[in-house]
Amino acid sequence: MSTFTIIDPITRIEGHMKVDVTVDAHRGVQQVVDVHVAGNLFRGFENFLVGREPTDAQHITQRICGVCPIPHGMAAVMTLDAASKTAIPLNGLIQRNLVLGANFVESHILHFYLLSALDYIDGPAQRPWLSSWSIDRRFNADQTAGLIGHYLKAIEMKRKGQEAAAVFGGKQPHSPAYIPGGFTNVPTQEQITMFAQYADELLDFINNVYIPDAEALASVYEDYTEIGGGYGNLLSFGCFDEDVAGKKKLFAPGYVLKGSRKKSTFAEAQITEQVKYGWYKNSTSKLKPSKGKTEATYPKDDAYSWMKSPRYMNAPMEVGPLARMWMSGDYNEGVSVMDRQLARAYEAQKITEAMKRWLAQIRVGDPVFNKTSIPAKGTAFGLTEAPRGALGHWLKLEGGKIAAYQVITPTCWNCSPRDDKKQLGPMEKAIMGTVVQDPERPVEVLRVVHSFDPCLDCAVHVMRAK
Amino acid sequence: MNVSRRDFLRMCGVSAAAFGLTCTDVKAIETLLASSNAPAVIWLQGSSCNGCSISLLNRISDSSPKTIDELLLGPIDLIFHPNVMGPSGSEAVAAIRATKNYILVLEGGVPTAFDGMACIVWSENGKDVSYGEAIRSLAPGASKIICVGQCACFGGIPASGKNPTQIVSAASYTGMETINIAGCPTHPDWIVGTIAQLLAGNSVPLDEYGRPVSIFGETVHANCPRLGKEKAVTFGETDKCLMDLGCRGPSTFAPCPYQKWNNNVSWCVNAGSNCMGCTDPTFPTAESFYSPLGLSSFYGNKKKGRKDRRDDRDGRDDRD
Repeated sequence: MSTFTIIDPITRIEGHMKVDVTVDAHRGVQQVVDVHVAGNLFRGFENFLVGREPTDAQHITQRICGVCPIPHGMAAVMTLDAASKTAIPLNGLIQRNLVLGANFVESHILHFYLLSALDYIDGPAQRPWLSSWSIDRRFNADQTAGLIGHYLKAIEMKRKGQEAAAVFGGKQPHSPAYIPGGFTNVPTQEQITMFAQYADELLDFINNVYIPDAEALASVYEDYTEIGGGYGNLLSFGCFDEDVAGKKKLFAPGYVLKGSRKKSTFAEAQITEQVKYGWYKNSTSKLKPSKGKTEATYPKDDAYSWMKSPRYMNAPMEVGPLARMWMSGDYNEGVSVMDRQLARAYEAQKITEAMKRWLAQIRVGDPVFNKTSIPAKGTAFGLTEAPRGALGHWLKLEGGKIAAYQVITPTCWNCSPRDDKKQLGPMEKAIMGTVVQDPERPVEVLRVVHSFDPCLDCAVHVMRAK
Repeated sequence: MNVSRRDFLRMCGVSAAAFGLTCTDVKAIETLLASSNAPAVIWLQGSSCNGCSISLLNRISDSSPKTIDELLLGPIDLIFHPNVMGPSGSEAVAAIRATKNYILVLEGGVPTAFDGMACIVWSENGKDVSYGEAIRSLAPGASKIICVGQCACFGGIPASGKNPTQIVSAASYTGMETINIAGCPTHPDWIVGTIAQLLAGNSVPLDEYGRPVSIFGETVHANCPRLGKEKAVTFGETDKCLMDLGCRGPSTFAPCPYQKWNNNVSWCVNAGSNCMGCTDPTFPTAESFYSPLGLSSFYGNKKKGRKDRRDDRDGRDDRD
């Protein structure tokens, strides 16, 4: 007796994504035996940047993602600073960090409550939350009511995180204030006081609501510390420079394989992108991003995703808060659904505390911007982190214009399709073997998917093998 | 948590000044919401960054319901919104199909290359459905169509340059009249205010680009607090006019200088940055955001030809 079910779209993520899951009995347990994670949106940002002035890159690339635009602004200006070999003034650096940090923190809060929590509790009993997927609910009525209250509070805190970013950044989403050489905003004491109030309020929520809720979730759903692990390969580019020389970072770069506690040194030269299973020309596979090409072709045999497959030393790597906290030595309990949730919550605390420290370093009246001279010809790259993980921009200049631009987003690492050697993407690997109670409503798969905080709209097709 | 429709009406009353709602309108909304015929809202996302949805979550006004969660818990019957809705899969699509009386909100342009498959919104009857197909099936039945953000209204950034996925604005793709809430992203109050007008049964006067005149009737320049101040020659100078650094204020119609962003915290010019022109149908032009002076303006150098172009812009401003 076989059942065929299609569940599509998965909601509560950003963008467009599809996951095919085949469920079958394996050693007597009904579980995922095959999976395809697919990106369902192609816009071609790399292509319409070509021919533009390089100083437009931070504004164009922020529009890759309305949820985490600031990391793209940051990566773009870091790339341009590298191209011009410009050091930025401390006031510029700190403001960049504060706006980025605020984006991280509100994004994490948004993820836990708005995007992820409804996999574990029922939302308010009305649309748009009403759902029949009320499966494996373990919190009692009081706990659930408390979490829903926090859900609504989280919308407020997410909004305040965006307001904090706007204090220095002008507006969120899409700050106009990131420029090569520094930052446009001239900080005032009033702005510093205002940001400090937001930071205090966010930290209070993180310490007294978010972290306790994340710990409660990890306790009630303790089995999910053994579910959704995947490869255990973790990668971070590092982020939040704490000095203008870029020597000291809040999060250090590095990588580990198979959940090792000992991190290795990261080298940009080890990154390639593979496209055998993406809708891109095979001739563009295995290129380094500095030489990368984005040439779409649809349909294409074997292909099933609009994402490329970035690989580090040919290995699929998971990126995100867990990878960052692992490299910084703050968290290395394990790799699983709940480890991702916990690392994200603890990271929100660490960043907010750091923001309070950085705020005290702003010197009112000091410069925010150094004039830069971007060369007419050359190459450069900028590596940083987004809330969802490692982010890189690669630039080639010719005749003073952008001749080539490549972006590798965190979700590309996590949700990539199979690579040329047929190695599953990190999320695909994490979903494989997940035990599913009801193949028509595979909430277990949703929990794994959402633990990565994919920046995509998602669709899950569930097939039970015949 | 228990927010009534009455609270929503209070919010509409508060917004009345900004959006021209009268007491009669508020009464009409009340009557409409009391009946079961209140329009539902179906919100689709196409080729966009979802920034307009994120911006909508930043909604806050002076009076209850102050925020978007209170609005959602109150009278808005949001049938489908990919970021916030609980249901997934066929249950989510079935809710759309069961809805007869609805306002259709479109966020994102429509890619037409690759048979539209550069943006797939859901599966139905075992088949991938493109954003374009979804619009074709839902637009004819909508009581109103609101395009939210630059991508839906005009194509926006993904349609710029060589337009790799051959994006058409959702507004033109429908072939129907749409209300175009411009902006990259758009402001939450512009969305909520427009929906309130529609619930009141009012017509929303539109400009030649389909934008509500009540929102996009004046230039940024006309209301800029830095108007007439000394011209900045480089970034990082306090409270100077950013005209020579490429400010698009004179040709951009938006209420940012007095409405501001993120709960009145700031806006682009207040942060020392030039207006990028993000509500203008031409956004982003092929020119640098730091033109009309070109790249050299970025370093504070002046370039020949600037004056002529600025005179054109000033001329346009004068007409308003």
